[in-house]
Amino acid sequence: MNRIVVKRDGAEEKFQTRKIVNAVFWLLEGLDVKDDYDLVYRIMKEVDLKVPERVTTEELDYLVLKAIEQLIPRNTIYDRLAARQLLKIITRKLDLRFKSFAEFIHFGVQEKILKKELLNFDLMVLEKAVDESRNDTLDYFGLSVLQDRYFCRDRNFELIEKPQWFFMRVAMGIADDETQAVKIYHKLSALEYLHSTPTLYNSGTTTSQYSSCYINVVEDDLLSIMDKVRETSLLAKYAGGVGTDVTRIRATGSRIHSLNAKSSGIIPFIKIFDSTVNAIQQGGRRRSSQVVYIQPWHVDIEAFLDLKETTGNAYLRTPSLNTALWMPDEMMRRIDKGEMLYFFDPAECSGLVEAHGEAFTKLYKEYIKQAEAGKLRLWKKMDGREFYKKYLFKLAKTGHPWLTFKDAHNRQNPCPAYSVINSSNLCTEISIPNSSQSTAVCTLASINLAKHVNAGKTDLDWEKLHDTIATAVKALDNIMDRNFYPSEESKKNTMDLRPMGLGVMGFAEALLDLGISYDSDRAVTLAGQIGEFMKNTAYSKSAQMAKERGAFPHYLEMQQQGKPYPYKPRRNAVLLAIAPTASISIIAGTTSTIDSYFSNIYARDTLSGKFIVVNKKLMAQLEAADQWSDEMYETIKTWNGSVQHIAELEGVIDRELYKSAYEIAPARQVDIAAAFQRSVDQAVSKSIYIDEDLRDKMEDIYLYAWNQGLKSTYYCFIDKTVKGEKYTTQVNKRGARRGFGSRSPVSAAAEPETGSVVETVAIENDVQALEAQARQQFGDAVVDKVLSGNMDSCPTDPLLAKICPSCE
Amino acid sequence: MQQSGLIGKTSVRDNIIISDNPRYPIFKELYIKQKKAIWFPEELNIQQDVLDYKALTPVEKEVFDMAVGYFSSSELLVGNVLVNGFFPLLIDPYAKMSFTTQMFVENIHSDFFESIMQSFAMDRDKLYRITQTDPLLYKKQDIIIREVDKLTYGKGDPYTVAGRKLILKSILLNNIVMEGIFFYSTFAHFFAMKDTGKMKNVVSGVELVLIDESLHLQNGIEAILILLDETPEIVQDEEFVQEIQTVIIDSASLEFEYLERMFGGKTIYGLTFRELKRYLQYITDRRMEELGFEPAFHVDENPLKFLQKEDFKKLTNFFEVSSTEYTNY
Repeated sequence: MNRIVVKRDGAEEKFQTRKIVNAVFWLLEGLDVKDDYDLVYRIMKEVDLKVPERVTTEELDYLVLKAIEQLIPRNTIYDRLAARQLLKIITRKLDLRFKSFAEFIHFGVQEKILKKELLNFDLMVLEKAVDESRNDTLDYFGLSVLQDRYFCRDRNFELIEKPQWFFMRVAMGIADDETQAVKIYHKLSALEYLHSTPTLYNSGTTTSQYSSCYINVVEDDLLSIMDKVRETSLLAKYAGGVGTDVTRIRATGSRIHSLNAKSSGIIPFIKIFDSTVNAIQQGGRRRSSQVVYIQPWHVDIEAFLDLKETTGNAYLRTPSLNTALWMPDEMMRRIDKGEMLYFFDPAECSGLVEAHGEAFTKLYKEYIKQAEAGKLRLWKKMDGREFYKKYLFKLAKTGHPWLTFKDAHNRQNPCPAYSVINSSNLCTEISIPNSSQSTAVCTLASINLAKHVNAGKTDLDWEKLHDTIATAVKALDNIMDRNFYPSEESKKNTMDLRPMGLGVMGFAEALLDLGISYDSDRAVTLAGQIGEFMKNTAYSKSAQMAKERGAFPHYLEMQQQGKPYPYKPRRNAVLLAIAPTASISIIAGTTSTIDSYFSNIYARDTLSGKFIVVNKKLMAQLEAADQWSDEMYETIKTWNGSVQHIAELEGVIDRELYKSAYEIAPARQVDIAAAFQRSVDQAVSKSIYIDEDLRDKMEDIYLYAWNQGLKSTYYCFIDKTVKGEKYTTQVNKRGARRGFGSRSPVSAAAEPETGSVVETVAIENDVQALEAQARQQFGDAVVDKVLSGNMDSCPTDPLLAKICPSCE
Repeated sequence: MQQSGLIGKTSVRDNIIISDNPRYPIFKELYIKQKKAIWFPEELNIQQDVLDYKALTPVEKEVFDMAVGYFSSSELLVGNVLVNGFFPLLIDPYAKMSFTTQMFVENIHSDFFESIMQSFAMDRDKLYRITQTDPLLYKKQDIIIREVDKLTYGKGDPYTVAGRKLILKSILLNNIVMEGIFFYSTFAHFFAMKDTGKMKNVVSGVELVLIDESLHLQNGIEAILILLDETPEIVQDEEFVQEIQTVIIDSASLEFEYLERMFGGKTIYGLTFRELKRYLQYITDRRMEELGFEPAFHVDENPLKFLQKEDFKKLTNFFEVSSTEYTNY
């Protein structure tokens, strides 16, 4: 088959395998590869199938990328090659357009894409710090996500950024001067820590919105509800996640005095938020999201539990919202003991909303007495266990509502005089006092623990960790004064409290490097140590900044009022929060948050497409032991990414180290979160992974999480049992039955197999010798067909390609 | 009164007892699996993809529209085949439960494709009729309809070998050829969209359709293998066996033709005709082996390697794409 390549200038030439081979060899440069010929051959085999009769050079680059991408699970080297090929595609156009980093910045400012303040930096100093050799730090998945969504684009949506420019632009949007910018740049480009997604998107750009989370409170008043809808729409527009406490809204049937009518309850109002967030989430680079929180003593709670159901009355369903419970201890205690739960109308029992701890318990009991004495208009009761079971059923079925603990959050409120903590946020890691006049805002960053293991892999590099924490804390504090606040209420909260949320990712990867099983006591101990170290370091940095820049204003205000808080001055009311790091852990190429490896091989669905994620450490270790092969890959795939049952690996690797999420006891998952939580002043967002077999244990697992002092839990993942037919693995459905098998086969329109894998052959230039060799190996029929040039595809076998007239 | 066997003719009063020791435990298992896999189109935020849809290039749009059009009427066709064709002849209680569940799920699929057309304001009238107006799509449906209508008009006597052959062929055409070959061919187009970052929420739904269809396929394979077991005369008829193979290979050829027309000479969603053809050969080989035939094309490896992504446990960034992991409880 003759194939034509259309070049950039419109000229046409014959498609030549050799050119692609050379380009792939170029990608291999500087890499230590054992069997490079075989690697390249496998890529060529994939490319050949993909190239149509006419193709542009640009498409060809992309097809080569796709071909390499398909091979990623086969050998660790393909990931690097795919990343390099993608980088080549990104930079090729860009290098024609901008001669230097400084030129890019000038262009961005001129086009009003970047802030003009960036020109105040000495661009020459920064340009010198830009280190292109850092590109190899990014893996293919990370780079794909970056180029798809994080890099700046011009007004025609053409990319104008490449990885190192991106990291420097983010650093410039945060730093006060060149020294700080370079410092931050080095930390980010080495993937030692990363700021949260909104910061990476917007830092240094004219959309100076750095924050991930907002948390507002709705009062029981129509104006307040509509006002908060308005505020939420603005917060959502800038891709922030919004948490909203709706507990105060009166229940269905509650009296509205001004109208002398009865209320339609909370659900129709929550529905307004659902429609709003659905409208807003259409634009932008990531959909905005909202979670509504309720305290489960609200008498409309059962309808609330159903919000995420997919059947039933559409007016009572909120497909675009997330939901969460803000659970008081007294209710958990009653559930634990199997006592009755009582549900009230917040209009009638308004004291319950802000009361917490002992005060809540006392008030709750008082209302129970009144209810039983017939003094309350609207209330009901239900057996605690029954309610709990019903709730957990919904959690397993719809993933919602998440369970968070009101009293655990409020016990550690550093500023009770400011306000109570009314709810957490979209990812359940935030714990900041807020009110309807003060919308909590949190700006996040996460340290990549996998990049803080010492050279001997014996311990963490605590000194480096100290340096990274101090850098990140200062950076996050800087952001507060550069941030754009979509509402007055959100600005007020930050200016009063200066809260920040520094968290971690790559905990599981670090454990693996240190040879510690995630499912072990040592892992729990280390989690506690890291948490404590982070707290001490971050707090001492914040205290130091308080000396230089002043303590947070609410602290000073209380001091002035003669009611000082019982702790030393610091710059920030709260500093630590462990976020899920869903996107940034992909960029950093590590495990997310404090979670274990999800699985050794799995697929990840993102806004940028679907990617296969392989535990690279496992692959590398097996390659080193000469145990990684296509067969091993297939075996692990058959086990859905688990290596626990693969007998051949006994003695080759410590399989205990490679447990996947569902193979780790849920109690252990909770213990690790609890160990971090002891030092984290905000919260730990902890998803819990439960094997199908342990579904009956859900009641115990969540009670255990509460008893261990977790402030929050997040998604509950239950391993799914029904799956589609495996697409790339053959399954025998027939068993021993013969079906039509007793008959002899007919010959279908069988085609010659092009590209059967052969051992590397000696390359000789003598065409006749090659032909003879080919005849010997493949037979005359195949060779004649190749020589006639009349095949429907060029041979991918290197020997046959040598003699193919279209290829040469 | 209880009649045993997979097919036959019974009064409605017969076989209304479920045995705790079912004759075909596989259908009980398939019924349970299908039940667990039930989902609803409302779980997906299809509308999210509207900007993607508008940004498709003309050829990409054509592939998408044709795929949706083909599925929208074909899902209803599968329903018809079940109701009018061989379903009335099934007499085993669990087999009936398994196939009625399949019927129900076909409704969900029709509903799903209908809601796609609604969400993107696609030309519904044209797309529902695409299998009438497009000559190749017409042939793809006609090859099934022609045979099944013999049953529709009462020609299949379950107590004769000839009748059983007719019934077997109808199951083959519906559950293996249509659902197991034609549908699988088009699934690859959808998955390639997600692989290139397009139409992600729609494709999340198609992932669920794939799970269902793989169960329907198994319904069909089981029914055929049981029929063959219980009617050994069928396999003795060499001509008939030959005919079955020919039907499968002819159907695959129709699909090759269709693929060549859509993808020939170009790359769409990163797919070329040659890899799609090879993929379909791979799929057809699998179907043949599942029925006990030798493979026709000897393609042992799925050339569309990105499809291996469908084989793994999946972790979704919840804020980004509709998750398909919460649908089975």
